[in-house]
Amino acid sequence: MIRFLIPFVAVVLFLLEPEFALFSPISLGDHTLTLVPRFVILYLIFISIYYSKKRACLYGLIFGLLYDVFYIDIIGLYSFLYPLVCFVAGSTVRFIHQHLSVTTILSIVLVALMEVFLYYFFYFIQFTTIPVSDFLSNRLLPTIIANLLFLIMLGWAFKYLINARVLQRAQDNS
Amino acid sequence: MPHFTNKKFILLLVGTIFLVALISFSLRDRQNASVPEQFIKDTVGFAQSIVAKPANYITGIFNDINSLLNTYEENKRLKMRLEDFAVLQAEVNTLQSENKSLKELVDKEDSLKDYDPLKATVIARNPDQWEEKIILNRGSAQGVQLNMAVMTANGLIGKISLVTPFTSEVELLYSNNPNNRVSAIVHGEKSDVFGLVEGYDADRNELILKRIDSSFTVNEGEQVVTSGLGGIYPKGILIGEITEVTTDDYGLTKLAYVKPAANFSMLDDVIIAKRKSVSVDGSDGSSTNADLTNGTKNKTTDTTEGEE
Repeated sequence: MIRFLIPFVAVVLFLLEPEFALFSPISLGDHTLTLVPRFVILYLIFISIYYSKKRACLYGLIFGLLYDVFYIDIIGLYSFLYPLVCFVAGSTVRFIHQHLSVTTILSIVLVALMEVFLYYFFYFIQFTTIPVSDFLSNRLLPTIIANLLFLIMLGWAFKYLINARVLQRAQDNS
Repeated sequence: MPHFTNKKFILLLVGTIFLVALISFSLRDRQNASVPEQFIKDTVGFAQSIVAKPANYITGIFNDINSLLNTYEENKRLKMRLEDFAVLQAEVNTLQSENKSLKELVDKEDSLKDYDPLKATVIARNPDQWEEKIILNRGSAQGVQLNMAVMTANGLIGKISLVTPFTSEVELLYSNNPNNRVSAIVHGEKSDVFGLVEGYDADRNELILKRIDSSFTVNEGEQVVTSGLGGIYPKGILIGEITEVTTDDYGLTKLAYVKPAANFSMLDDVIIAKRKSVSVDGSDGSSTNADLTNGTKNKTTDTTEGEE
């Protein structure tokens, strides 16, 4: 049961992302803040850290490809970035304490780095022309705050779910 | 760090080349979706439309609450307008009948204004909002075609940029594509002034109306509507209201900032407008020199260069 719950949650998060994106952009005074929901990759980072790096990279590839085809129409962008981020997250396990707060901060940092990379990519292919300062204040910061809120609310649930799966697998093996 | 052997290094190299090739390949032709792409889009689109129903319901509640909060002020404003409205209605009726009889008189049937509306629901918005686009639950099976105009009850929001059998993508007016232009008219006090809505100002969050002849005067608060001359959009769809008029970079023509009439952040139900009169596929953006005239070459001569 839990075995299928893990990919199922990923699918639900994937489908929820664009619905939350409908609320964006938010006008706050003079500024227009863009919030980018990054639920799937946050969840995959958690899987990568608490469960299995390999599995996370595989999910990353699949969801990245879906993301590319359905939303972006540039195949190879997210299907490269998602597994990469999962790989990096999984590689840090040996060096970093696996407390929930540490994982949360690490996930947010990785997502922020990914966002910066994406900005430069889209800037390079001229899909966007906003200057770096605008990107930082109107996009990156709100995105980080929104995703941090999301993780603070649901991070423990991810950890709980993944731990249950790890426990189950250990029982199956013994 | 893992130690790189020769084999791994070659694999990495080949992978990078493959990736770059894939990205550049898919960047080149973004107006058409290949068969596997269409399949994925339709499948995800189907799942998405199931999720979108409760989500739209919830956004609906938010909108309702929002409008409830403004009820008092709105009511006051509406009451003031109501008196004008009755007069206006009578005037419209007479004008309409007059227009009809005049049309009969000159034997003119199709107007640029006419379009077939097709209702659609927004099932998703591109979550990484680098490109402003939304995805609708209607596709070529329901008669949606590339480059049709998309609007809400309030005004124009964009045009169809990609169609699969059961979904379609809308490029919003806010997008950064410099070739995404809308031929527009400003209804001025004395005469109508033509211009092109071209790009938007990210700081002000407003559209830019360019190439207004400097001998005409446009004022703040005047309404901008589509002219229908670009070949795609029907005539007379509201785009927005002018907020500021300046001259452009070279000082040759005027430039105006336009605040869009439609609200772009909480979109749920939209209307796809199919023009009744001959529409010209402005193959904007990709600058292909293909035949854009839908087989009506004789009627339209120089549309390849025309705006869209």
